[in-house]
Amino acid sequence: MGKSFLKKRPALNEEMSLQITSMADIFIIVLVFLLKGYSTGAISVAPSAGLSLPKAVTQDASVEALKVEITETGVQVEGQHVAKLEQFRFEKADLQSSGTSTTLGQAISRQREKQLLIAKSNTDVKVDSKILILADQRAPYSTIKTVLASAAVNGYTDFKLAVVKGD
Amino acid sequence: MSGAVDSGQGGKGKGGSQDFDLNLAPIIDSFTVLIAFMLVSASFLSIGILDAGISAAGVAPKSDAPPSVNLTVEVASDHHFTLKLSGKSTANVKLAGKEGKYDLEGLTEKVGGYRKQWTDLNAVTLVSEEAVQYKDVVQVMEALRKNVPVVLLGGF
Repeated sequence: MGKSFLKKRPALNEEMSLQITSMADIFIIVLVFLLKGYSTGAISVAPSAGLSLPKAVTQDASVEALKVEITETGVQVEGQHVAKLEQFRFEKADLQSSGTSTTLGQAISRQREKQLLIAKSNTDVKVDSKILILADQRAPYSTIKTVLASAAVNGYTDFKLAVVKGD
Repeated sequence: MSGAVDSGQGGKGKGGSQDFDLNLAPIIDSFTVLIAFMLVSASFLSIGILDAGISAAGVAPKSDAPPSVNLTVEVASDHHFTLKLSGKSTANVKLAGKEGKYDLEGLTEKVGGYRKQWTDLNAVTLVSEEAVQYKDVVQVMEALRKNVPVVLLGGF
């Protein structure tokens, strides 16, 4: 016959201390891993919620440029909503015969003027023609074309397309 | 974690060192806060950049001499490509889609052939129909960049 379950159990030691040394080791490793992946650039290339970027095999995102985001409902320049889109398309009233958008063109022009003013007062700053486009992969090329054309007429001709790095 | 320190009372005969336990609890607390903060603010998407100029403005030519041929790739919404070669040689090749998708392998092969034939072909102009999705344009750009270093966006 085995041991009876009615047998009295030995009393547990009430002074029990949690061994946290190993936990501290794990935390240090996690912290180092997160710090390594943490972006320290002046411009964060984090797309807004709901924006799905296309996939492509390409190089690192270490570019500092004017950021333009194209989502299903609108266009944002440096995080500020500037033009309204309806299912990725510009409103007809907003489009010009040259294929540019009036509101977006004005917003980009303001950014350009700001850049020119800074460059004027500080000789170390150079006027840059780089523009970073973060566009949803479902957007039609007509919308992309309008954004690129609006940027190009304001002096932004060096297009950088943000993509999710593939394998 | 434990250690030993000199008590600084060496001459009084009560022993030179004293065992102590380092209190890890506040360190763990600060680590937890830091990790939570970094996890919230971290972006797990790895973002890359595709360079694209606009034809006739974006990228400065490497040499003054114009290339022997100019290649334009037209992307149609019905999944076919039209490759237009102009200059010393002319061609107008239509590449049909495969199983309702763009034949990117066929495009890479064809452009690779042109590149072998015309070694100074360093840029391709990509023209796309308005209804083509951005995702497809990026895929075509990626396929073209396997053989040609510069892909210019045209058509506007």
